Amino acid sequence: MADMPTDFWAGWIAVITVVSLAGLGWLIFSIYFSAESADEHGDGPVWDETLREGSNPAPLWWFWMILALLVISVVYLMLYPGLGSYSGALRWSQGGRFDANVAAYETEFGGIRELVAGAQLETLRGNPALMKSAQSIFARQCAVCHGYEAEGQANLFPNLMDAHWQWGGEPGQVEQSIRAGRTGIMVGWSAVLGDAGVEQMTQYVKTLAAQPDTAPPLQYTQFCSACHGPDGAGNPVLGAPSLVSGVYLYGGSDAAIKHTIALGRTGEMPGFENRLDDTQIKLLVALLTGNGTE
Amino acid sequence: MNGLGLHQRLERNAGLLIFGILFVSAIGGLVQVLPSIFQESLSQPAANTRPYGALELVGRDIYIREGCGTCHSQQVRPLLAEVKRYGPYSRAGESVYDRPFLWGSKRTGPDLHRIGGRYTDTWHRVHLLDPRSVVNNSIMPAYPWLAERAANADGDIQLRLKVLRRLGHPYTDADIESAPAKLEGLTEIDAVIAYLQQLGAGLGAEQ
Ligand code: HEC
Ligand code: HEC
Ligand code: HEC
Repeated sequence: MADMPTDFWAGWIAVITVVSLAGLGWLIFSIYFSAESADEHGDGPVWDETLREGSNPAPLWWFWMILALLVISVVYLMLYPGLGSYSGALRWSQGGRFDANVAAYETEFGGIRELVAGAQLETLRGNPALMKSAQSIFARQCAVCHGYEAEGQANLFPNLMDAHWQWGGEPGQVEQSIRAGRTGIMVGWSAVLGDAGVEQMTQYVKTLAAQPDTAPPLQYTQFCSACHGPDGAGNPVLGAPSLVSGVYLYGGSDAAIKHTIALGRTGEMPGFENRLDDTQIKLLVALLTGNGTE
Repeated sequence: MNGLGLHQRLERNAGLLIFGILFVSAIGGLVQVLPSIFQESLSQPAANTRPYGALELVGRDIYIREGCGTCHSQQVRPLLAEVKRYGPYSRAGESVYDRPFLWGSKRTGPDLHRIGGRYTDTWHRVHLLDPRSVVNNSIMPAYPWLAERAANADGDIQLRLKVLRRLGHPYTDADIESAPAKLEGLTEIDAVIAYLQQLGAGLGAEQ
């Protein structure tokens, strides 16, 4: 991090700085304390009987002010980096301060990290302080997509608080969803099914939710059951959602279901492995898996 | 001669006074600005930094045009809280292909220097078209027109690349030749998303 100028420029900076400070020192001393500093009036014009042009220094407190600034500058340049490549008696650097803060942070949270790593999810859920942290992590990292209450939104981002899980609701599965992300791909079927077929399949999907026992049409068994299951229960390995739950990622309207069947969907959840640490991920898993699975 | 005498001479000679003022005001620049122009870590691209592709460049110009920078900074400061929130702090070398740089100084919305890869293209599209549909109390304006205008509506992408090449950005003839094709069929919103998705990408999220 210490990124100091090279030799020539270090010298350049140091020389100009020192010469300017010395020059300023000479200037104020000679203005205030040399023999000629007494008030002397030139031969210039006189107005209103007594007013004449003079050449006087500014009030004396200016001298003290400038002198104090000079002293502060010199002390600063001795303690902190600034004079060429000299890094200052305190060895202070922005990067060094940052690293120290990070180290202090790691120490401060070391204990909590161990506690979380060794605890059951049930225990974590019973700890209000930890659940509050989990909620703020969620608010920062996840809420823009899944909503502040994890209630899902925009008919694009799933509800994580209900008991319906596309990719499985066991802690291990939820952790996998968070770590590596998920991409659910359903291709469009309009070419295969035709308009009438899409319409028919839409109606079937809608009845499935109301009456799960409805016998599937041939086309469903042929084209859909491999992923969504013969009974429409879905398949968490493929991320194929249940069609009997009545809960829809993309909304339950005819138009939305038809859109999915005809044109397909690609739902993408980014992976958070690189943005969150193990403790944060475990807290999120505890937060999200409290409501069981169906 | 002493300081007062010098002062009198300066005050009575306008040319000398002008020179004196210029000289004194130049000292700060000579010490602070001039050496940094020659400092490698400030003038060489960082490991994750490359010249903008045609689509990203159009997106960047739209970002400037729409004033996104008045609400969003692109500068993660080396402070623990910021690094925890946004990702690794910004390096000088990451801005060498930014003319002008978009560091900004006002955060009405969050910093965007590490936004690349954080969300999906779908999210950005929904959010730019209607921020309230995903962040219900957002005060960010909606930008529906971005989805209507073609990315190369101005038709001057080759000129923009040539100007940057003149300024030292390493675009090849092939880059410039193929630029219009890369914008073909895309709208301004695609360009903005492409620009956002490469911001800060390529650095590990943790230090
Ligand atoms: C290759 C596996 C696969 C096949 C075959 C398949 N689907 Fe899907 N389907 C999926 C996946 C994966 C999703 C979730 C897409 C996402 O996450 O964006 C999905 C989503 C859906 C949805 C949206 C559910 C919701 O919650 O909004 C419906 C409706 C649907 N499929 C119906 C069908 C029908 C009808 C067929 C047969 C014509 C079919 N699918 C064939 C994998 C498949
Ligand atoms: C850019 C938007 C986005 C962000 C940010 C995001 N998600 Fe998701 N998430 C999605 C989408 C879209 C899906 C559905 C994927 C699919 O269609 O298969 C999803 C799915 C999931 C699932 C699987 C749900 C199921 O039913 O199996 C879990 C768990 C999840 N997200 C948790 C999180 C957590 C925790 C965070 C924050 C660390 C987060 N998500 C951040 C968009 C997002
Ligand atoms: C009036 C101020 C304002 C302007 C102008 C503005 N934004 Fe925003 N932006 C916000 C606020 C506030 C948020 C936080 C709430 C939200 O996510 O909508 C935000 C959030 C964002 C986010 C998500 C950041 C994150 O980390 O979650 C992105 C990306 C974004 N804006 C891009 C843009 C782009 C691109 C433009 C220009 C086309 C723009 N913004 C113009 C205020 C603004």
